[in-house]
Amino acid sequence: MREPEVTYKPESLTASRPLLWGAAVLSLIMMAPVAWLVGLSIKSNQDLMMGTDSVFRFPYTLVNYLNILHSSQVFGWLLNSVIVATGHTLGVLVLSSLAGYGFARLEFPFRRTVFVIVLFGLAVPEQAVIIARHQMFSWLNLHNTYLGLMLPGFSSAFGVFLMTQFFRAIPKDIDEAALLDNASQFRIFWKIMLPLTLPAQATLGIFTFLGAWNDYWWPLISATRKEMYTLTIGIASSQTNFAQSEGLGFLAAQAVFASLPAIIVYLIFQRHIVTAVSGGAVK
Amino acid sequence: MKRILMTTVAALAMGFAASAHAQTKIELQRFFGACDADYGKVTDVSSAVGECGIITSLINKFRADNPDITVNVTTVEWPGYDQLNAQLASGAAPDVVSMHYSAISDYQSRGLLEPVDKLLGTQGVSPASFTDAARAGVMKEGQMYGLPFDNWTMLFHVNMNLMKKAGLVNADGTPVLPTSADELIAQGKQFKEKTGKPYLIQILANETASYTRVLYTFLQQQKSDFFANPKQIKLKTPEAKAAVELMKRTVSEKISTVGLDYAASVSAFANGDGGIAVNGTWLIGDYVAQSKKEGTALANGYSVYPIPQLFKAQDSTYADGHSWVMPKKNRTPEQVQAIGKLFKFLADNDFQWARTGHLPAVKAVFDKPEFKALPQRDNIAKIAQTGRSLPAEVQRQFAIQSIIGEEVGAAVNGDKPVDDALASAESRINELLGDL
Amino acid sequence: MAESYRRSQWSHGLFILPYLCFFLVLLVFPLFWGMWLSLHKADLFGPGRFVGLTNYTRVLADPVFLQALRNTIIFVAVSVPALVVIGLFLALALNRTTRATSFFRGLFFSSSVLSVTIVTLIWRFVFIPGDGLLAVLFKQVGLTPISFLSTSGWSLFSVGAATVWWCIGLPMMLFLAALQQVPQDLYEAAALDNASGWRVLTRITLPSIARTIVLVTIIQIVLQFQLFGQAQLMTNGGPSGTSRPLVMYIYEVGFVRWDIGRGAAASQILFLIILVAAMAQYIVSSRKTEA
Repeated sequence: MREPEVTYKPESLTASRPLLWGAAVLSLIMMAPVAWLVGLSIKSNQDLMMGTDSVFRFPYTLVNYLNILHSSQVFGWLLNSVIVATGHTLGVLVLSSLAGYGFARLEFPFRRTVFVIVLFGLAVPEQAVIIARHQMFSWLNLHNTYLGLMLPGFSSAFGVFLMTQFFRAIPKDIDEAALLDNASQFRIFWKIMLPLTLPAQATLGIFTFLGAWNDYWWPLISATRKEMYTLTIGIASSQTNFAQSEGLGFLAAQAVFASLPAIIVYLIFQRHIVTAVSGGAVK
Repeated sequence: MKRILMTTVAALAMGFAASAHAQTKIELQRFFGACDADYGKVTDVSSAVGECGIITSLINKFRADNPDITVNVTTVEWPGYDQLNAQLASGAAPDVVSMHYSAISDYQSRGLLEPVDKLLGTQGVSPASFTDAARAGVMKEGQMYGLPFDNWTMLFHVNMNLMKKAGLVNADGTPVLPTSADELIAQGKQFKEKTGKPYLIQILANETASYTRVLYTFLQQQKSDFFANPKQIKLKTPEAKAAVELMKRTVSEKISTVGLDYAASVSAFANGDGGIAVNGTWLIGDYVAQSKKEGTALANGYSVYPIPQLFKAQDSTYADGHSWVMPKKNRTPEQVQAIGKLFKFLADNDFQWARTGHLPAVKAVFDKPEFKALPQRDNIAKIAQTGRSLPAEVQRQFAIQSIIGEEVGAAVNGDKPVDDALASAESRINELLGDL
Repeated sequence: MAESYRRSQWSHGLFILPYLCFFLVLLVFPLFWGMWLSLHKADLFGPGRFVGLTNYTRVLADPVFLQALRNTIIFVAVSVPALVVIGLFLALALNRTTRATSFFRGLFFSSSVLSVTIVTLIWRFVFIPGDGLLAVLFKQVGLTPISFLSTSGWSLFSVGAATVWWCIGLPMMLFLAALQQVPQDLYEAAALDNASGWRVLTRITLPSIARTIVLVTIIQIVLQFQLFGQAQLMTNGGPSGTSRPLVMYIYEVGFVRWDIGRGAAASQILFLIILVAAMAQYIVSSRKTEA
């Protein structure tokens, strides 16, 4: 697959040395909280009880991380998050690709009207529907299920909008040629058009995955059983019990541990993510 | 047809489950924190310290004693009622839930809880075995809607080492505690002068419960009948003003810590950053354990007392308690029986829970020699008489608590005049109660 | 173009049907249900009774709602410009290909992949009194630590700081992408004229990416109006409600006070506000770019 590399033109006049220094200073602010978190996570809770300035002194320890391996529910939460975010993303990709193709390249009655209505959906914030959704899912017995956590995301209009834009940008003669061969619409979509939209799929997939991974309010009220907690909710549930619970060091270690998967995925796909994000913008 | 099919399948599945492994599963949901790292496998309850440690090891012990029962524990953020509401609304309520006495009437009045009298009866636990205060906490319309577990109040946790330094110790070794509002301020200033540290450690940040409990205590001490009508609070009173003014003085006269949240205030006292922590019964066990360790700020110098009577009318302390309730839902007879066993076990082990510092809910515990031997309990024994709750009919006590905490907090920290804060708290609460 | 295959056919609609089902069931239906609910006095546990517009009048008369509305507007008014300006600054600074800039780009975007609970945990560790990073630093240099999370003014600021830290990646990336699209010959012409850096910025760069600035601003307005997790987890709305955003008000009314009718009413109002704000921004700026 062709991967459009974003090249940053070296001769751009916009970047200059003082600006770069400014960015360097900001990057310190960016990193300091994380460094502090890591520092806390490698101190024993006993040391931290005496004062957190002990972070700047020896001894350091991995005991908090060992405790996670022994007892924490982080693994279960992680798995839930992966399942929910993956399912959510796949669903959105399938639905948005189909709908985007339909809206962009086919004609059917009320196409325009329906598209405008769907666009209107872009403006509906989660808050306006969440209470009714919660009641609806109660009746359908969908709370505390993976499906119940994924489904609301399927209705997002953002993906449809994005895919419609991408399908529109594909030159018309490509599918016209295929049509002469008497290929069916679905075949054209599947064999010819879809492969062309892979970069767009990546953009949408990454956005959707990150959105689902970070979702807070819906899992907060839908996943109310501990074994169904997503990472976000699990960490929240231990974080607010601060003093009564395992202590600062353990909490910090849990946070570091819980953010590792996202950071690792990010580091691996970094180049692609950058391209995807930028690609989404160039419209 | 479809229905019959479903029932058959369900029956088959259940039969299969029963024969495969006769496990009864119950879902227990509680606050009190998570401490699996330290207590995840502990079944020796007597070795545990603190609320979280003791309840975790109690459940572990119950599991070990009843291998046929699976207890699935979910720990929620205190107090967990938002989550419980979402669960009840979605028909996914747990089998057993920890609940404050003050919250029971909300759920009971909406028909969301099961009465437990019968269940306790089958296990041979009689209502008479609980203290009056504890039983009253769960008793609604003549029935018990939960297993009472304890009674608690706010207390003065005293760092005796610092009090000595401040010259606030009597000849018999007891601390000199104030008997009036003015004495509180005066002793606070003396303490600050001698030790250079704040006299009071209060939870003044990111918290509403503490403000409310102290306010209720001071109102009760003035015999202010602020909930004469359970549907209407009266806070635009001289008594309320006097109470909030006193709380405010502790800050403006600089004898209290400021800006500490719950966690920070707990560790501030443990680190010896102040003389008296205003906090609950549940910390006694932890602090006693610390005072036994040499080299800590509390070493051989921890003591605890009820909030002193600072107003003339009567000695009183706001009290509440924890219970275990059963939300209404469909359960198998096996599950109900398992819950009964669990309740019996918890009642039988109420002494262990009382080691946290809470007052036991089971009368017999008071007569146990082990209980009598627990440190500090003589000092606080009188809260069994002086502890008072809000009238049982008052609904939404947690929502009221957040309103009072917010408004009184604004007054105490100087963001709002006292009168304005009380007026706005009163109107907000009455709007809430008038619109149920 | 008169392609015969593009003839309007019902069967073509099959492509959008799957999405449309989810859209109708999970978005449109709950939206109208929410409106219906907002006309009822109802709690979480059962049907309510019709009360007309009472919920709306009560919400609009509720000082707590008005305070939350004010907090949210202040938050949006400060955090959105901050995100746009800092994002733009970073994009300008990092708009070239070197090892350092690509490292920085990665760094500034990395926080966006964290979940809100991790972000708030990190920032609580920074702001908490006594044990927090800032408290420790203040003590080291002999200053009295500020209780960031419990002083009115500072608490909303703290929530904002965490939010900007968390969300800065996307604006930066969008601006970087836009900068790449600016025709190079414009710069070459400017270089021939010996134009100053500032002049180039205001006369060439900014006008060229005006559309992206509008886009980023609208995205951020819509996002930041929905502030919830950060405030709930860091300050719980305190002290005395000075950092309580609208969404938290909705959550509290619905799930703490059990009054979902009123919660639904408040969420419809929020919906309207977001719609108006985004549209106003769009209209104002599209007019500006035309002029």
